[in-house]
Amino acid sequence: MAVKKIEKGVMVTLLILGGILMMVPFIWMLGSSFKPENEFTVIPPTIIPHHPTWNNYSRLFTEMDFFVYLKNTLIIVICSFVGLFLNALAGYAFAKFHFPGKNGFFYLILATMMIPGQVTMIPTYLIINKMGLVNTMAGIVLPGLVGAFGIFLFRQFMATIPTDLIEAARLDGSGEFRIFFTLILPVVKPVFAVQAILTFIGAWNSFLWPLIIANDEKLYTLSVGLSLLKGQYGTEFGLQMAGAAFMVVPIIIIFTFFQKHIIEGYTISGMK
Amino acid sequence: MREFAKQWNKNKYPYLFIAPAVLLLVVFSIVPIIIALVISFTNMDLIGLADYSNIRGVGFDNYINIFKDPVFLKALFNTLIYVVVGVPLVVICAMAVALLLNYGTSWLFKTFRVIYYMPSITNIVAVAVVWGYLYNGSYGLFNYILSWFGLPAQQWLQDPALAKYSLILLALWKAIGLNMIIFLAALQGIPRSYYEAAEIDGATGWKKLRYITIPLLSFATFFVTITTLIGWIQFFEEPFVMTKGGPLNATMSLALFIYNNGFKLSNFGYAASGSFVLFVIIILATIVQFAVRRKEVEY
Amino acid sequence: MVDQVFQTKNGVKRMKKKTWGTMLAAVLTFSLVLAGCGSNNSNSGSGSSKTLKVWFMGTTDTVEPLAEMYEKENPGIKVEVQAIPWDSAHDKLLTAVASKNGPDVVQMGTTWIPEFAAAGALADMAPYIEKYPNLKAENFYDGAVQTGQFDGKTVGIPWYVETRSLFYRTDLLGEVGYPEGPKTWDELKDASQQLVAKGGAGHYGITIDGKDQITAAIFAWQNGSDFIDDQGQPHFNEPKYVETINYLKSFFDEKLTPSGTDLDTTTAFKDGTIPMFISGPWMIQTIKEKDPEIDGKWTVTTLPAKENNDSSIGGSDLSIFNYSNNKDEAAKFISFLSDTEAQLKYYETSNSLPALKTAWDDQAFSDPMIAAFGKQLETARPAPQIKEWETIAQAVIASFEQITVGGADTQTEMDKLNDKAKEILGK
Repeated sequence: MAVKKIEKGVMVTLLILGGILMMVPFIWMLGSSFKPENEFTVIPPTIIPHHPTWNNYSRLFTEMDFFVYLKNTLIIVICSFVGLFLNALAGYAFAKFHFPGKNGFFYLILATMMIPGQVTMIPTYLIINKMGLVNTMAGIVLPGLVGAFGIFLFRQFMATIPTDLIEAARLDGSGEFRIFFTLILPVVKPVFAVQAILTFIGAWNSFLWPLIIANDEKLYTLSVGLSLLKGQYGTEFGLQMAGAAFMVVPIIIIFTFFQKHIIEGYTISGMK
Repeated sequence: MREFAKQWNKNKYPYLFIAPAVLLLVVFSIVPIIIALVISFTNMDLIGLADYSNIRGVGFDNYINIFKDPVFLKALFNTLIYVVVGVPLVVICAMAVALLLNYGTSWLFKTFRVIYYMPSITNIVAVAVVWGYLYNGSYGLFNYILSWFGLPAQQWLQDPALAKYSLILLALWKAIGLNMIIFLAALQGIPRSYYEAAEIDGATGWKKLRYITIPLLSFATFFVTITTLIGWIQFFEEPFVMTKGGPLNATMSLALFIYNNGFKLSNFGYAASGSFVLFVIIILATIVQFAVRRKEVEY
Repeated sequence: MVDQVFQTKNGVKRMKKKTWGTMLAAVLTFSLVLAGCGSNNSNSGSGSSKTLKVWFMGTTDTVEPLAEMYEKENPGIKVEVQAIPWDSAHDKLLTAVASKNGPDVVQMGTTWIPEFAAAGALADMAPYIEKYPNLKAENFYDGAVQTGQFDGKTVGIPWYVETRSLFYRTDLLGEVGYPEGPKTWDELKDASQQLVAKGGAGHYGITIDGKDQITAAIFAWQNGSDFIDDQGQPHFNEPKYVETINYLKSFFDEKLTPSGTDLDTTTAFKDGTIPMFISGPWMIQTIKEKDPEIDGKWTVTTLPAKENNDSSIGGSDLSIFNYSNNKDEAAKFISFLSDTEAQLKYYETSNSLPALKTAWDDQAFSDPMIAAFGKQLETARPAPQIKEWETIAQAVIASFEQITVGGADTQTEMDKLNDKAKEILGK
């Protein structure tokens, strides 16, 4: 038992040490966002500001439309979640059905994962333009709605669901969609959570694409706003730090709140 | 015809299920890449973009020139370093963190789960702001910490030898969280009964790790490795926001090289040929990965 | 198998309402999103009648007041200002050209004009200059007018200008015998050497920003080098240019300038560790705000001379996007922005120096520091107006870095640079 205690002690120490290292940039960011401008170049650097001020935050809202950017960002987040279902549906078909051309389609999807995004940007823009979707939310959301990464992940986890279970449901007379929603989705909840997080991050941080598609500032996202800030007030660290903190802190709060739904409880093997 | 109808009826659900995803991917990934492939054999630039009649085919010139371009070769070399150093680092660190987090269930572990995850959800523009300041040679925190130990100040992002590793450190910090979650999900899928059985046999912690946990994580490891590999080969955001590829192109990655040529210098044909080279590299790397995995499974 | 199909079919019929509901909701959301776009599309084009779309770089708060002034004077016209981050403005313009769908009026960084003009994206201003006398070339600084020209046509009207002059600490330079600032290259070198000798470790004379594409160009002009001549031939490996680079290199070799760029200029200026730097008018305000401690101990003067003391002219021009259906309205708006009143207002909101010469008669510009920039502007010249300039400038920066950081031999590196420039220009 003593060995076990020591082992636990070592584990916890390692965990805390690593965690502190991971936290350093955040602590630095939060501390700095309260610093007045002249405290930034003090040597040695101060981690906790000597003369804390709210000034940077109030300027953020008086000089920028940060609320509009926040709203757009949230809309993109919500739209992106639709893509999650499409990913899961496709993953399910690849995991549990046999149909002609299955491998071909699957490799096609895998191949899209390897396409470097920088080069497809202009062609994709031209396609969106032909479809008349420039300057619309759909134009911003559609190209990234489904992703090979997600489909791949769903397929792998769904493959572990015993086929017998699905067959049994079919014999009970359940339809395919019903099986998907009531049997498959609950089982892959953890993957869903992982995917949801990914989608959220992607949408929350979307930057270059919204900027290119939007011909109207009403469609700008938070990242674009922060970039405007960086360009305009390049030498004002405090304002930039406050902007950065404003982008990061809300997600951290959301995650702390929902984190028990992430990966906990439902596991793949739980249904065996 | 009847045969077709029968086939369709039999398979309509899987086709319906994959249709939206396939359709979107074809329109927004496959078609653009085909357009890009065509462009890579032309001299398309801004003038060509404005008026297609100015575009001329140049055969394989772009592909020949790109392999003579010292910046491209440098980017190729840098990307190799990123992959060789970055991939194992991310996979090992993410797995280690997942194992640590899986060790307990108290509030402490739950809190730290969030902490380790935080960097992944942080916006890249925000990251650039914060890390740029951390790495600042004169007023940054890192050099201040070095000074506690009597170490000389470093030019984190200005020193050509160091800048690459500074970016790797930053990317590692950002990558751990997401991959850790994938490992953690897989770890929680391992039934407790396996460990209980092993404990009855008198297996120690290390042995359990070696003979139960790691083998059962093989799919997650494979998945994380392959996505991390592709991620590092396409390494873009960090050098883009932190160094723009400098100093002396020491941090230039292939993806950034493509971006610079395409969007900063408007040489779309040239950039497209570069991205095809990148595409082929990724496919080769993936095939190798799959082959290795197949071998392992057989073994 | 047949059984299974039958089962499935039956299953669909028996599917519970709830499941269908979820599906429906998903499908509906999806199609709503799609529908939302279609309806929005009509006003995304540049053509709709009485709305003028204007793209500006930076944040909107500097331009919004001007748009309001214009709307008040011209009822029935709505000016829609969109701010674009400088970092991504080039990407955004590219896609606009690709789709021929963009703004009516666009602010163009002066260095981008040749590239976009060559692509035919900017309208020829000639007919509008006839119509609106405000747009006439003689109203603006010569250098600024040149930035708006490409291939003999005027495609951009000067909007604001910036140039580079020398900021220096009067007290510290006074101690080494240059209270008026160094006037020649030799004096600049001597002052830097003395300052470093006096200050000791961690002290420098001046910052030379090798990452800024205009740094080497300014010094080369001053040395009489025409590194890209009127025929578009490069002369980077000829004595005048090589001499310039060697002069700059000596500052790095003798540690008269810091080679890392992340020393904060304002702080180093305050501490006296970098008592001189070359920069634009925007730094006046920054130094005033950040370094109140050294008020009265610094000023701005024109650059030290070799054969001349030419500086660069930069800033932005206003152009009409060639795919606009509102060209006449657009020209009218540009004419309004070229008014003394509008130019002064913009100076007030953004601190950008007016391109309009008469605006400089205002008392706001009697301040000696700003006047120094005014004087510098008289002989300021634009970067070479060729569409390949951006690519060449990147190559120049890379070579300069090879020499100052990488330790390459100047002549060899310049030969390489010249070959590269020839290749780029030959394309």
